[in-house]
Amino acid sequence: MTAVRTETEAAPAVSVSSSKEPKRFRLSHWDAKYTPYLIIAPFFVVFGIFGLYPLLYTAWVSLHEWQLIDGNQGFVGLANYAELFGDPKFWNALVNTLSLFVLSTVPQLLAALGLAALLDRGLRGSAFWRAGVLLPNVISVAAVALVFAQFFGRDFGIVNFLLGLVGIDPVDWRAETWASHLAVSTMVMWRWTGYNALLYLAAMQSVPRDMYESATLDGASRWRMFWSITVPSIRPTILFTVVTSTIGGLQLFAEPALFDPGFAANNSTGGSDRQFQTLVLYMYEKGFRLFDAGYAATVAWMLFVVVLLVAIVNFTLTRRIAGKE
Amino acid sequence: MSTRLVGSVAATLVMVLAAGCGGSSGADGKIELSLGLFSDFGYDKLIEEYQASHPNLKIEQRKVKMEQHNTQLATQLAGGRGAADIVALEEGVVSQFRASKDKFVNLAEYGAKDLKDQWAAWKWNQGTADGGEFVLGLGTDMGSLGLCYRRDLFEAAKLPTDREAVAKLWPTWADYAKVADQFTAATPNVKFVDTGRNVYKAILDQTEEGYFAKDDSYIAEKNDKVKTAFETAAALGVKQQTGALEPFSQEWNVALKQGSFATTTCPAWALALIKAGAGDAAAGKWDVTTAPGGGGNWGGSFLAIPKQGKHPKEAYELAKWLTAPEQQKRIFKETGNLPSQPKVYQDAEVQATVNEYFNSAPVGKIFATSAESLKPTYRGTKDSKVGPVFATALTRVEQGKQSTAEAWTQALKEATDAAK
Repeated sequence: MTAVRTETEAAPAVSVSSSKEPKRFRLSHWDAKYTPYLIIAPFFVVFGIFGLYPLLYTAWVSLHEWQLIDGNQGFVGLANYAELFGDPKFWNALVNTLSLFVLSTVPQLLAALGLAALLDRGLRGSAFWRAGVLLPNVISVAAVALVFAQFFGRDFGIVNFLLGLVGIDPVDWRAETWASHLAVSTMVMWRWTGYNALLYLAAMQSVPRDMYESATLDGASRWRMFWSITVPSIRPTILFTVVTSTIGGLQLFAEPALFDPGFAANNSTGGSDRQFQTLVLYMYEKGFRLFDAGYAATVAWMLFVVVLLVAIVNFTLTRRIAGKE
Repeated sequence: MSTRLVGSVAATLVMVLAAGCGGSSGADGKIELSLGLFSDFGYDKLIEEYQASHPNLKIEQRKVKMEQHNTQLATQLAGGRGAADIVALEEGVVSQFRASKDKFVNLAEYGAKDLKDQWAAWKWNQGTADGGEFVLGLGTDMGSLGLCYRRDLFEAAKLPTDREAVAKLWPTWADYAKVADQFTAATPNVKFVDTGRNVYKAILDQTEEGYFAKDDSYIAEKNDKVKTAFETAAALGVKQQTGALEPFSQEWNVALKQGSFATTTCPAWALALIKAGAGDAAAGKWDVTTAPGGGGNWGGSFLAIPKQGKHPKEAYELAKWLTAPEQQKRIFKETGNLPSQPKVYQDAEVQATVNEYFNSAPVGKIFATSAESLKPTYRGTKDSKVGPVFATALTRVEQGKQSTAEAWTQALKEATDAAK
């Protein structure tokens, strides 16, 4: 792309007045060679400052005994990591994170796929529906969490009220592990299903329509067309959403934090027995409540590794499932 | 083109950096001072006045939620910039920040020691380090303990409603538990108290040593008072006489509004929270009386000055003025925050103050009396790390997840780890 443009620009300069303007030639040569780098540079500069540097700095901090306010208290090597692997609270947080991730991401992506398929069928007032599914994602997470925390209230929550109508005893949503995971996952699903549905929809719209026509002529059912034409055609988008949802799901923080009423009272452990404490919540507790920045940095690095591993596994799995190219 | 781009990027960077280093002297040559606060210190009018008498100052208040305030302050101290010129430190975390006292100005350098006698001795001591040589903060309010109760719910349970008579029902916490039994027997559908956690905290705040001995050594496992307090509070939870609520949370507010619990421990500053939660409909239904077990202190704050500020002298003058007796008295009348200075809470006008919302309870007298008999608890450096462990343990009992013994064992184990 850049090369093509430069050729057409540079050509007249050479033919018309090559001897008169060597300087201009040199300039445009320079332009051709370095402008692309200059244009992509801001991303890498910003990434370096806000991405790479904190990453490396966190690694450095994790090798030290590091108090949040007073800073470095001495190099301890891998002692923080050794402590982490023997820390039941870390494993508890890891299991919670994975459980919440599976509970929220799998139904979420399936629902998004279904929703996108429905939107793709040319409903009346499609713009309205499309904007509508994105709405939950636009609303601030704090507001969503506040409202859902009320829905799942133990004494005066709507969910328990509705359960009561069909004769089910009220559930203490924050006390039970499974109940709290369900409630937090609901929040995540509510926020992200529409967003993913729109991504799928955009991809579905570029699937050639004649493929469906010939499939219809061959007598294929809608279900068959969906799985044999639509899903394989939007494979790259599915891969993309799986990877981003993995990253987002494993870094879950705001939803469980705000679901825990103790969070506002400087007592954020993600439930009375850490029932829904995710890795990021645990990191927050260590770093910002107990001021143990060194250990928090260790948790952060382990989280990084976990996200990387799960993302790779998901990527490979999804590539297999969604068909090979 | 490209040079211009580089130029503009450079210019933007310079602007960003300049903004980041934003000086604290305004364009009009005024000295800008900022106060980092949480909840309501009642400073709005006072600051207006101070600015009027000090035209060279421009004072800004930053109010955030307490949890956010503490976290923010910690990161600002760590980063060496961004903290307000004057910051409030709450009693529960002051010991945690005292450990990093070299990030703060020693107010003794500005003559703070001369002010010592203004405050109750324990309040002054909480704000100092190194045996009084290092003055970290000047005391604002204090949280001497009272007990709030719903008159209408007591009446329904055939209990006395008059505040003197109610106080006589519970000289000790054991008596309080007996009243709880009577109450539950008469009206089983209403909870007697909002949360066992506050009962626990109140009992513990009435002892001189809690989790830590005065030499800062960890003693929770051998201090019988901690265990007794825990068991007393847990027993209420086991009998389901508590609402199992997170204090001051959204659900707590809803429960207040619905009138689903009858008593709550209330330091002076909690009155405003109860009023806000219960709303106008409950005016006159709540009342305040003496807490079981005598006086205790929960909460209250200090004003400290981070070293990174550019105008420590001006900041000190302002903090000194805001915490001076005359101002503490005015704040009490405005917000109900109890002064931490004996001369002020013994003042006739303060003693005569009643709170209309709380059935015209003589709050001045109740809290001042409680302040007189107060035995402040020594707060260890790691108090704020250990305390929450026991609080969540009580929640587990209230939620029926664990027995009292199980919760206690787990809490002790976690607390010992946290105190390391």
